[in-house]
Amino acid sequence: MNKRVQTWVRFLTAQDGLAILLAAGLLGAGLTFIYSASWRGEETGIVGAWFSKQIWWAALGAAVALALAATDYKVWIRHAGWLYLASLALLALVFVPGIGRKVYGAYRWLVILGVPVQPSEFAKVSTVLLLARVLASPVLQRRSFGTVLLALGLMALPFGLILEEPDLGTAMVLVPTTLCMLFAAGCALRYLIGLGLLGAGGIAVALSPLAKLFLDDYQHERIATFLDPSRDPLGSGWNALQSAIAVGSGGFSGKGFLNGTQNVLGFLPRTVSPTDFIFPVIAEETGFIGASVLLLAFAALLTCYLRTAWTAQDPAGSLLATGIAGLLFCHVFVNVGMTIGLLPITGLPLPFVSSGGSFMVSTLAGFGLVQSVHVRRMRREV
Amino acid sequence: MARDRFIPEIHVWRLAFLWLAMLACFGALTLRLWNLQVAQSTEYQRRLAKQSLRSVRLPGIRGRVLDRNGVRLADNRPSYCVSLYLEELRKAGNVQRTVDNVMEALYRIAETMDRPLPLRPQDVRLHLGRRTPLPLVAWRDLDETAVARFIEHAGEFPGAELTVEPVRVYPQTNLACHLLGYVGRADLEKLPDAAADGEPEKYHYYLPEMAGKSGLEKRLDGVLRAHAGGKLEIQVDVAGFKFDEVSSRAPGHGGDVTLALDARIQRAAEAVLAGQRGAAVVIDPRNGDVLALASAPGFDPNDFVPAVSAAIWNRLLHDPTRPLYNRATGGEYAPGSTFKPVTLLAALHAGAVAADTRFTCPGYFDLGSARFRCWQHWGHGSIDLQAAIRYSCNVYLFHSALAAGPEAVQAMARAVGFGRKTDVCLDFERAGLVPDDAWKRAARRDGWRDGDTCNLAIGQGALLVTPIQLAMYAATLANGGTLWKPRLVRQIASAGGAANEIAAEPAPNGPRWEPQHVRVVREGMRDAVNQPDGSGKRAMLPNVVVAAKTGTAEYGVKGAGRKMTWMIAFAPFEEPRYAVALLVEDGVSGGTTAAPRMKQLLAQTFREVDGLDMPPVEPLPSVPPPTPDPGAAPAVAAEEPA
Repeated sequence: MNKRVQTWVRFLTAQDGLAILLAAGLLGAGLTFIYSASWRGEETGIVGAWFSKQIWWAALGAAVALALAATDYKVWIRHAGWLYLASLALLALVFVPGIGRKVYGAYRWLVILGVPVQPSEFAKVSTVLLLARVLASPVLQRRSFGTVLLALGLMALPFGLILEEPDLGTAMVLVPTTLCMLFAAGCALRYLIGLGLLGAGGIAVALSPLAKLFLDDYQHERIATFLDPSRDPLGSGWNALQSAIAVGSGGFSGKGFLNGTQNVLGFLPRTVSPTDFIFPVIAEETGFIGASVLLLAFAALLTCYLRTAWTAQDPAGSLLATGIAGLLFCHVFVNVGMTIGLLPITGLPLPFVSSGGSFMVSTLAGFGLVQSVHVRRMRREV
Repeated sequence: MARDRFIPEIHVWRLAFLWLAMLACFGALTLRLWNLQVAQSTEYQRRLAKQSLRSVRLPGIRGRVLDRNGVRLADNRPSYCVSLYLEELRKAGNVQRTVDNVMEALYRIAETMDRPLPLRPQDVRLHLGRRTPLPLVAWRDLDETAVARFIEHAGEFPGAELTVEPVRVYPQTNLACHLLGYVGRADLEKLPDAAADGEPEKYHYYLPEMAGKSGLEKRLDGVLRAHAGGKLEIQVDVAGFKFDEVSSRAPGHGGDVTLALDARIQRAAEAVLAGQRGAAVVIDPRNGDVLALASAPGFDPNDFVPAVSAAIWNRLLHDPTRPLYNRATGGEYAPGSTFKPVTLLAALHAGAVAADTRFTCPGYFDLGSARFRCWQHWGHGSIDLQAAIRYSCNVYLFHSALAAGPEAVQAMARAVGFGRKTDVCLDFERAGLVPDDAWKRAARRDGWRDGDTCNLAIGQGALLVTPIQLAMYAATLANGGTLWKPRLVRQIASAGGAANEIAAEPAPNGPRWEPQHVRVVREGMRDAVNQPDGSGKRAMLPNVVVAAKTGTAEYGVKGAGRKMTWMIAFAPFEEPRYAVALLVEDGVSGGTTAAPRMKQLLAQTFREVDGLDMPPVEPLPSVPPPTPDPGAAPAVAAEEPA
């Protein structure tokens, strides 16, 4: 047999089949409910063609994932520094007038070849890559606080830039992801616990009036509204309330596909129901059964990612898989949590499911990287 | 040192811990989901229903009221309104926030429609405090331009909606106002039994519904009110657009009511009463149809729709002429000489007198020490019964009544319907009073005396009748002895369209007259008009023979000279089609005040309804302005005759 073909066969058989199945299922669910969330809007011409766009983005993302899975992740780890710098540069470009695009008062977009992209999505992945490289480096002092500081510092640069856009949600994702990686890398627990306490204190401050000094009004309002959604039922509390009503009214078995009234009638605003608020659409139409199956799928995918981290060939691969798992977890937990009133509304999409080009590509890129690690794993399966 | 180095390795237990922590977080999400979707699902479904379903009760379209020829007396017209659903504009926290929000919405809509702001913040606050289930109607009767402007921008105004409200109109304005009555906003609590009508227990919103508040509108409210009381469940989207009508039931139509009334006659009756206080009732003696029922002064029932303004209400309420008061059915007056035929028929019936019995009238009648005067102080000489009616001689009547006895007169008075309600379908009808021994003992602590009989004989004393009673009695004289129940409503069309004819019905316990007795009385009444010396000669008409009896009853303080002036009439004499009772308060006398008005009323009727050639309308004799004495407006009859 041709050697080339043999390599491909080995590559394909080494894939994490369960993960691929889960990702494909989630993508399918996403497309299905983006259709549900937007068909009414498209009919009336209010919202653009979410559904068809999403198919193209998913295809592009799948191609990227395949390419990344086929490439050795060590190549990306090796060049993580450059990728990181490039992503910082792109993040900075967002603020350059004429290049960055302002949408809803935030500079989150770059227009490349007529296609709007979010550099923050690229930055998330590249930061994880760089952290994997740095934390797996044998030259670092073990258990030293310097390691923690270095990791936090590397995270802080894109964090600051993304926060400045402003995109609180995406920026916030970086923090727990970094902590996950530090923890998995073997960082001293006392520092992590200390950081955790610091974080809790920070949240406490953010909720106090003091926070107005350094949080934008909209951020403060969102946190305050989180505590009491009825505080402003027509303003920023609207989405939280409508989302909870959508989820709650779905009941145990849901209202059926295309029958979610909250979504169809626009009580869940049509601009966000296919993106950040796709989960309430699913929960309303498929009920507790569908919503918990979705969560179960995410949990299974996370399990796959962490299994890859466990079986990885080297610590860098393991940390890479852990970091991507951290990103996935943060997105799912924050997104679902905010739509069911556990967390403040931060505007974070649901991986694989939400509509959104850059995010879809970055999610699938992460998936490809994990697959790359998985394919080159050590054989120590149980 | 090796142990201080960061040894790159894969920490399996740490990965396992991370995995478990993540799963625990997902478990928390699932628990929360269970809580929302299973444990509290009902609550959220209720909230969902509340915000996406706006169930609005639409009032049905009230039935119309038509006259006998289909002339619209009460109808409906559409009025375009912009209403605000305050629940949907509610802001959490202080009420003032909601008020501000509503005012802002109003301001923006006002700007769009180019209309002044219709409400003040305190109005909004009041509405919020009182009746949130009612949409707040901000603008009424919008013209096409404003409506078009609103529709164009409707999406920008959540919680506001264009509604069409049926508005009651009375196209003939004041015509038959006392009879028709008026409508006002229905009490939410008093809406007809909703469950029986298949309506849900409660709507979110109630569009204003009208209910009859007086007159026929009130009496026939059950017929006129649209039973179906339309229901409409609207699914609205976030902008307030109607998205889907989940289940709708078109508002029903109330039943149309066709009256026996003839608008032309009613108009003629109101015309002759213009500027006076009085009443006129026209009856068809063949079936008891109420062709006209007028009371003056009147009011415009349109002023009461949708709600009467305080200024108009106060004016109507404090007007000494009492325009809201229906004199035709609610006013009790001494009938005066119009009662004389009753006395004579009673005497004839009792056999106390015959048609050819003659009495001499010297101008007075002495009863013991009391002297009762005839109105013609020099007397009528020796006259028979027919002439007694023609001249309205009091003395003849005293003799007849004393000969027949008071019981016979009282019985005859009751037989023609006095002393009991006619059961015309109107509120506040009064029964009047036929005084007798029992009454006098109870009210005056005194027995019945011959003086009382004399007063009764000429329709004075404590005797009280209402104009409609007198009209029914005139109709009985006209048709020769059948006392009808007044028929105000001829036909009731139910909402389904099936018409229900109301049959003409004789009143119970009517009189039993010998034909020859009635004939002589009728002929006396004919002579009263058609003989140059008759008491009612001013009512004479060409081409038609009118028969009538005048009446002048003094009331109030003795000697004050205040008089109720009457005329009862029927025509044409041979086959009467109209029987009329006409009253003018504080007139000069029946012959000079009431008779010309009767003439004009009949002339107008025969000209317009029967196409007869009639003399042109003449100016009516003026009546001296009444001395203001509102307390005595419902007549208190004098103790003694003039």
